[in-house]
Amino acid sequence: MTTIEQTLTPNVAGTDRELIAFRIGEQEFCVDIMSVREIRGWTPATPLPRSPAYMKGVINLRGVVLPIIDLGARFGLATNEPTERHVIMVAHVGSRLVGLLVDAVSDIVQLSDAAIQPTPDVASDHVKSFVKGIFAVEGGRMISLIDLDHVLPESEAEAA
Amino acid sequence: MSDDPFEAIKATFFQECEELLADLEGNLLTLESGSTDIEVINAVFRAVHSVKGGAGAFGLEDLVRFAHVFETLMDELRSGRKPCDDPTVKTLLRASDVLADHVAAARGAGAPVDPVRSAGLVAELEALTYGGAAPAAAAAPDEDDFGFTPVAMDLGAFEAPGGLPDLADLPPLPDLAALAPLSAPAPLSDPGSLPDLSAPAAARGWKIVFRPHPRLYASANETGLLLRELARLGPTRVQMDDSGLPLLDALEPTDSHLIWTIELDGDASETEVREVFDFVEMDCDLSVTPLGDAATVEAALAAVADEDDSDASALARAASSELDIAALLASVGAAPTQAPAPVAAAPVIAPAPEPVAPPSPVKPAPAPTAAAPVQTAPPAAAPVTIRVDLERVDRLINAVGELVIQQAMLAQRVTESGMARSSDIGLGLEDLELLTREIQDSVMAIRAQPVKSVFQRMPRLVREAAEATGKKVKLVTSGEDTEVDKTVIERLSDPITHMLRNAIDHGLEGPEERLAAGKPAEGTVRLAALHRSGRIVIEISDDGKGINRPRVKGIAVERGLIAEDAILSDDEIDNLIFLPGFSTATEVSDLSGRGVGMDVVRRSIQSLGGRISISSVPGKGSTFTLSLPLTLAVLDGMVVGADEQTLVAPLAAIVESLTPNEADIHYVGGVDPVLRFREAFVPLVDVARVMGFRDAPTVLKGGVVMIVETESRQRAALLVDAIHGQRQVVIKSLESNYRHVEGVAAATILGDGRVALILDIDALVTAKRTRTPSRSDLQMAS
Repeated sequence: MTTIEQTLTPNVAGTDRELIAFRIGEQEFCVDIMSVREIRGWTPATPLPRSPAYMKGVINLRGVVLPIIDLGARFGLATNEPTERHVIMVAHVGSRLVGLLVDAVSDIVQLSDAAIQPTPDVASDHVKSFVKGIFAVEGGRMISLIDLDHVLPESEAEAA
Repeated sequence: MSDDPFEAIKATFFQECEELLADLEGNLLTLESGSTDIEVINAVFRAVHSVKGGAGAFGLEDLVRFAHVFETLMDELRSGRKPCDDPTVKTLLRASDVLADHVAAARGAGAPVDPVRSAGLVAELEALTYGGAAPAAAAAPDEDDFGFTPVAMDLGAFEAPGGLPDLADLPPLPDLAALAPLSAPAPLSDPGSLPDLSAPAAARGWKIVFRPHPRLYASANETGLLLRELARLGPTRVQMDDSGLPLLDALEPTDSHLIWTIELDGDASETEVREVFDFVEMDCDLSVTPLGDAATVEAALAAVADEDDSDASALARAASSELDIAALLASVGAAPTQAPAPVAAAPVIAPAPEPVAPPSPVKPAPAPTAAAPVQTAPPAAAPVTIRVDLERVDRLINAVGELVIQQAMLAQRVTESGMARSSDIGLGLEDLELLTREIQDSVMAIRAQPVKSVFQRMPRLVREAAEATGKKVKLVTSGEDTEVDKTVIERLSDPITHMLRNAIDHGLEGPEERLAAGKPAEGTVRLAALHRSGRIVIEISDDGKGINRPRVKGIAVERGLIAEDAILSDDEIDNLIFLPGFSTATEVSDLSGRGVGMDVVRRSIQSLGGRISISSVPGKGSTFTLSLPLTLAVLDGMVVGADEQTLVAPLAAIVESLTPNEADIHYVGGVDPVLRFREAFVPLVDVARVMGFRDAPTVLKGGVVMIVETESRQRAALLVDAIHGQRQVVIKSLESNYRHVEGVAAATILGDGRVALILDIDALVTAKRTRTPSRSDLQMAS
């Protein structure tokens, strides 16, 4: 984590956006910090019948019924049962509020738009629909910028 | 848009219009039912007048034009010059529909008004106003005239012993008119003194006496500008009377002390003259009299005096106003104007402020009329209300919902901590619970509204439906004051509309057929609302021919909805009409056969957590009964457990609960379990399995069964692991952040802070029958 901070500090000039970086398995992703409302620990969710596998259920967020999406499962990555060390990022997706289950939140990243590269064509359409772009950080690591609009099922994103 | 103050005012105007139109229709219906109460006619007049007034301020020309014609006729009616008979009221009702259309069009909420229909009604109204003859030139409403028509005050009503020879038009003071209907057709001692109302076009000029009230200046009007406006109409001679002006040390600078007397030459009409004072007429004393008519001027002055008198008593204006009047009267009397009037007027007014001599015998006449409405005026007695943004109420309701949950959580924690119920904390919590419940009830009551707002729209619908079908229909409503949550009300309108149309289109027979069947030619449709066991019940019944069961069954077979050899009870046949794709009208009529049928009605009722049922007697008619929860915010539920999950079943659907006996379980075809319940077999639904919590085969042992009844009166047995108890829960939408989930009606938050799902009983029971194990949702998801 400290590495990220160090590598990115020189880039501060020309900063266009702030992003929250998080980890799922060995991969790193980020979303626009403005779309994240809060970050909280995992609490068991109430399962919803006949839901997709990435839909972990709903929790009570101070009176709001919050659907929890396992982001790793949504991207088609292998995931484990959530533990207390998992983290829920509460984010706005369109007009909805959803909880995104991730392994850990790693950092806040400042980045200029120019540093973002388009998603290479190697990625499958499924992945490409979630990844808006990628950018490199020193040490040969790569962070993918996530487009939250497509995290909910398509039919719902349109309706929202 | 909403930031624009003008738009905000306009929005308020339209809100008021809605209320005015509702009042208007309500009052017209009162008239239709045979009432001849002058107060009702006055109320109709005022409603139209207010709509017109506001519309004029916003430049809504079409609306003003129509309202003007309407108002003119109402004026004739309220003065008693035209009889308020049945055909007239019928026309007025249709005119009120068109007026509502004009309002909707002006608001941008409705389609543009059908010009032919509007013009047709204008013609009808004018025909009634002018007694069939072409409108007299004098009274023909100027198309560009957005001013208020002069409200003719019938001076004959307070005729002085000497006899007032001619009409004097009093200033139209709507607020005064509202309280003191001076124009009430009080018995006239001398029919000959009936004022000639078509006279205003008279004369070579006008004498205008204008005394501004302080209010006029307070609302930023300026006498000079008014005088300049008048001068445009013709040569004017203006006199200012400053005799009312006190000495400097007694001068209250914001008071108004001056009186202007303007003589206007030329042939301007009285309407034009009054138009100048359009925006200030409420804030001044104004008399407009033909020039050189001494008696009329005298009458006008007397009228001003009289009016001020009743004004003062009725409106309970500041006591100082009487002094003002005295000053005015004295000054007018003393003013050396050229008009011959003052000579006559002087003795009249001299003894002021005591009751003036000649007008005094006059006063008793208007006084009772002025006093009576004050005593009976319902607005004064009506509860004080405020307008509140609905969003604020919703925020409060949400917060109270949280309070209820928090309170339940706290109570549960206390119990878990092993604290005795009789401890101080336990007792305190009990009080808190009571209080919370009370707050919740009160908050819910804020949203509760009488169903009147929906019912009021129906008479028009029935009129139009009757017109379209050529049937004679009478709508009888009852229980308009039954209250129900606003969200429920909003969604009641469409189903009721649809069912009323159906009742008229399909239920009622034509007049001949009815007569032949020994019924009155006019069919009756009843719309009733009532509270029954914590729900609101809406009944829509007609006295028509009832459901044609053989035909219904035939159609159902034809459409493949039922097997040809199906044996159905009468009840079951009646319920066929709720099936999707069912429509009995052989010809698609304009009115109700638009392809959407009762299934749509049923679905929208069900989405509100309601039920719909039908009962029908051939030849006697049909009754549709809707039963709906009073609120969509809370629900009485049974908290149950199924495979470690806590679920809530709506209490309304539960018939009873029991511990099943292994011997009562049977398997249809060896697969599908049914439970024997009171000599009937009902399908057994394993909730944990249907909800996908458990894949293992159903285990009956240790389980509890709830017998539930669906909207369509089907029964089923829901198997759960345990029943935890009954509880009122706050309904939380799943859709707001996620989407609809099959089998789940909504969610709630229980005492332990976790989300529990509220079961959709109907979906569960049908899912049991139709569900295939494939997880189709999964495929749709990506």
